[in-house]
Amino acid sequence: MDFDDTPEQKALREAVAALGRRYGHEYFVAKAKSGGHQTELWAEAGKLGYLGANLPAEYGGAGGGITELAIVAEELAAAGCPLLLIVVSPAIAGTVIARHGTEQQRRHVLPGIADGSTKVAFAITEPEAGSNFHRLGTVARRDGDDWLLRGSKAFISGIDECDLVLVVARTEDAATGKLKPALFLVPTDAPGLSRTPLEMEVVAPEKQWLLYLDDVRVPATALVGGSTDAGLPALFAGLNPERITIAASAVGTGRYALERAAGYAKARAVWGRPIGTHQGVAHPLAHAQIQVELARLMVAKAAARYDAGRDLDAGTAANMAKYAAAEASALAVDTAIQAMGGNGMATEYGVATLLGVTRVTRIAPVSREMILNFVAQHVLGQDRSY
Amino acid sequence: MNIVVLVKQVPDSGAERELRSDDQTIDRSSANNVLNEMDEYAVEEALKLQEALGGEVTVLTMGPEQAGEAIRKALQMGPDKAVHVLDGALHGSCAVATSKVLAAALRTLNPDLVLAGAESTDGRVQVMPHMIAERLGIAALTGARKLTVDGGTLTVERQTEEGYEVVTAATPAIVSVWDTINEPRYPSLKGIMAAKKKPVQTLSLADLGISPDEVGFAGSTSTVVESTKRPPRQAGTKVTDSGDGGVQLVEFLATERFV
Repeated sequence: MDFDDTPEQKALREAVAALGRRYGHEYFVAKAKSGGHQTELWAEAGKLGYLGANLPAEYGGAGGGITELAIVAEELAAAGCPLLLIVVSPAIAGTVIARHGTEQQRRHVLPGIADGSTKVAFAITEPEAGSNFHRLGTVARRDGDDWLLRGSKAFISGIDECDLVLVVARTEDAATGKLKPALFLVPTDAPGLSRTPLEMEVVAPEKQWLLYLDDVRVPATALVGGSTDAGLPALFAGLNPERITIAASAVGTGRYALERAAGYAKARAVWGRPIGTHQGVAHPLAHAQIQVELARLMVAKAAARYDAGRDLDAGTAANMAKYAAAEASALAVDTAIQAMGGNGMATEYGVATLLGVTRVTRIAPVSREMILNFVAQHVLGQDRSY
Repeated sequence: MNIVVLVKQVPDSGAERELRSDDQTIDRSSANNVLNEMDEYAVEEALKLQEALGGEVTVLTMGPEQAGEAIRKALQMGPDKAVHVLDGALHGSCAVATSKVLAAALRTLNPDLVLAGAESTDGRVQVMPHMIAERLGIAALTGARKLTVDGGTLTVERQTEEGYEVVTAATPAIVSVWDTINEPRYPSLKGIMAAKKKPVQTLSLADLGISPDEVGFAGSTSTVVESTKRPPRQAGTKVTDSGDGGVQLVEFLATERFV
């Protein structure tokens, strides 16, 4: 068992951290509050090949694994400027297309995802069905060679800055009459596709959207994998990369918050001593540090298993990593604020701005309760609770 | 254009640095060893010239085994290959002896242009480009904040305390650069992955036709006899303002001859 980065991973970590530091948390907050996006950071990270870390070299990626993409996500978050769309575009959409797309889809989409020039959103969640694809109401209907998509989606991250959206719909199986999932690559400017913003109490440059598909017509080549049988495995392929990268980002945010708080506690002196010399301040920070580091280990384990091609083993680890990282980063931000007192809530100290982001991570992309269900059922062997 | 960039591994200038108590050389074992910061600017300048003019960029270093880390770091930015002069007898070499070795290595590479950082953050003597130029009989354009190449003519803006001087020379020549010359790129992920496959040629003193007694402690023109740690910082003067804070501040500045 090797707990160290390879020399290349270490170099990547240092390079991404240096890039992130040049932008920093003030950039993130300024973009979020002005309704802008982290366009410059995204473009630069894409040009340097960081966003395509996990994608195959023959399609413009760096040929690394999800371990490398997780390093990118973690280090940008640790610099205070997480890029949520790493989770969506290269992690989910990039993996789905690389593993289950047709050759034409790979050539069409992957080079742009890898260099950041194409962003792909992901639309699965629905107002009525949540992420439960058994109940999805968005239906794909054949019309000649084309498909017509109809339905609505909720909590679609950052689609306003994306060129394409990977839509999860259901098709009717001709043989059984049962509905089964199918994924479509849809241009975000397709006729019949409209959106309205979902106002959120979260400081983030990536906005949340409601999406309406009103008989959106796409050609047969938009169906991922070229077959309705490809839908289910394609959908599952995206889940581990999604959980691992969101967990990595959460770990990075936890590191960021604790670094800020530790610096503050060391410098801020009351009655002649830095407040960090008081255990009442130092111990909660140390506790949060341990939680973040534990979560970080689980992220590395999940990523290593995924990169070794062990999807099922990776699934358990990825769920646990996501759970642990979300809890740890929320704890880290909350603890950091408490240590910093009133300044912890002040915008200029750059910690309270992460309250919303870390709170959301305990809910999305999969809630802590669903992960507990998974572990209870699949690890502890309990009967299904729902 | 065939370009060679001189790089050096140094102890991180942001941390406490020490000399070994036994032979007064840099203690590398306890230090975080990094690529000399100014060398990144030299590498960047070489890569920019290569992008514009084609040719090859080679990284050259002299140092112990672990200096290979600095070579990798430089190669990650994009150079094609590297040469590492590695020989146990080199330990303790002064600047004059080092310049003999680097000049010999450069002769085997036959570059049109040699680029170097204007100084290393450990030695800080700034003499290496001049010494190498003298040994190779080529021009030294040092302390550049701007470099342009027009055929076989190099023009640099040489940074001085008052402003800058414009100096030209014909290739081959050696140019040393300050951090004002460019903004070094971050290594791309492809660059990082590719660096481990790039050729690194190791040369010994025998390969360069240099006798061990011409370098190291034996062949050096200067010897560090002893060293003393920098005295700990004295506590500063605190001015408590009881209405006369301004006067006290000015008095302090006057005593220290700042005003």
